[in-house]
Amino acid sequence: MGSLLQLFIRNGGFVTLVLVEAFCFYIIVQFNDRQQAVYAHSFGRFSGNVLERRQHLLDYWSLDSRVDSLTKENSQLQQELANRGSVQLALRDTFFSVRYDSLLRSDSVRQRVMRPEFIYLTAAVISNSINGANNWLMLNRGSDDGLQSDMAVVTRSGIVGIVRNVNRNFSLVMSVLHRQSKISAALKREKAFGSLVWEGGDPEVMTLKFIPKHFDKIQVGDTVLTSGYSQMFPHGHMIGTIIQKPEQDPENPYFLNMQVRLSQDISTVQDVYVVKNIFDAQIDSLQRSIRDEQ
Amino acid sequence: MNSNLFPNLWRFVLLVAVQVLLLKQVSVTAGAYFNVLLYPLFVLLLPVQLFVPYVVLLGFLVGMTVDYFYVSFGLHASAAAFSGFARSIIFKVVEPKGGFSGKEPVFTPHYFGWPTFTKVAGLFFFIHIFWYFSVDYFTFYYFSDIAWKTLASWVLTMIFVIFFGFLFNPKR
Repeated sequence: MGSLLQLFIRNGGFVTLVLVEAFCFYIIVQFNDRQQAVYAHSFGRFSGNVLERRQHLLDYWSLDSRVDSLTKENSQLQQELANRGSVQLALRDTFFSVRYDSLLRSDSVRQRVMRPEFIYLTAAVISNSINGANNWLMLNRGSDDGLQSDMAVVTRSGIVGIVRNVNRNFSLVMSVLHRQSKISAALKREKAFGSLVWEGGDPEVMTLKFIPKHFDKIQVGDTVLTSGYSQMFPHGHMIGTIIQKPEQDPENPYFLNMQVRLSQDISTVQDVYVVKNIFDAQIDSLQRSIRDEQ
Repeated sequence: MNSNLFPNLWRFVLLVAVQVLLLKQVSVTAGAYFNVLLYPLFVLLLPVQLFVPYVVLLGFLVGMTVDYFYVSFGLHASAAAFSGFARSIIFKVVEPKGGFSGKEPVFTPHYFGWPTFTKVAGLFFFIHIFWYFSVDYFTFYYFSDIAWKTLASWVLTMIFVIFFGFLFNPKR
């Protein structure tokens, strides 16, 4: 304390000056129009600059959360899109257009409010492989996040796989690049549907099988979409394009085989949507009843 | 201390009165370059041994008083407080070895001689006037204006200061 007092006695003049000048500047800016205008102009420019830089920095820091919120928003949009598509089919027979929001709408046949059919959940790929004969991906979501087995995994531009095993926090996805994966796909223009399988080798190309051979106008570049018959993938989701003239299936002469280039490169997939079909259990039990009869 | 009180009080009242009643009117009628700032003489003629923070605060006080009549809150106060601090630095140059003693209570030609008084007062008033116009413009964008006004004002003020010195040459 004593040394502090000594310091003040030695530099007290300067300390007092700084305090007095600070006060003077305050009242100058406060009570004099011209000085206030100058101050406002210069400080406005300075502070504008500083605030802009600060915002840039904060933008960078918040990038993660912004990306996350954007993916969430994307998933909601995807969900609306998928549900909209499925209901348009249901309304087609009735010949009137209903203005509805896509999440809750009335069904003219059932006379009650329908719930959406698909729910999209965001997930990130945390491990991936493409070079084996059977490839798997791992996602950072598990049963705690609402994932179950047999859910489809898609991206905005294409399909990725099907959830097979789930634990509380992670899940294993059978990649479309798997010998057992068999996806119901349809041609956009011809409306024919078949099965999409992977025969190994090129991780960008899959084979579309069981297209009846009377569809002879199929061209290179035609779009392949999901058919929506598999109850996992929503109807009309992009899969890829045909890159080769269809050939006759060597095992079954009534059908055509064709090569499809996937629109989503599996080797670079990062953020995915897991598609939950709400009526999955109902459809499943229905199918099982047929299987039991056979 | 008590013997110093009344001379300084008188100087305070008289210099402020001359400044705001006479010199202000003259500068209003005679144009923008005719600014005589005589009141800092009060700060310069405060007792040389006075504790520096007091000098700064008294400078602020006289400045605020002048500001009150000039309706320019803080301008003269800022300049006078700064010149009060600058005074202590300038005095270090003319300080005799071992510091000021009671023999030279105030900084006037009577104690320090005319050459020293003129030089020190010249520097003191220059700093004050330059600071005043800098704060008045509040930006160095118009630096040439500030410089010309400072120069004109400084020359005029110094005439008044020397006149004051001849007229009164106070001993306390």
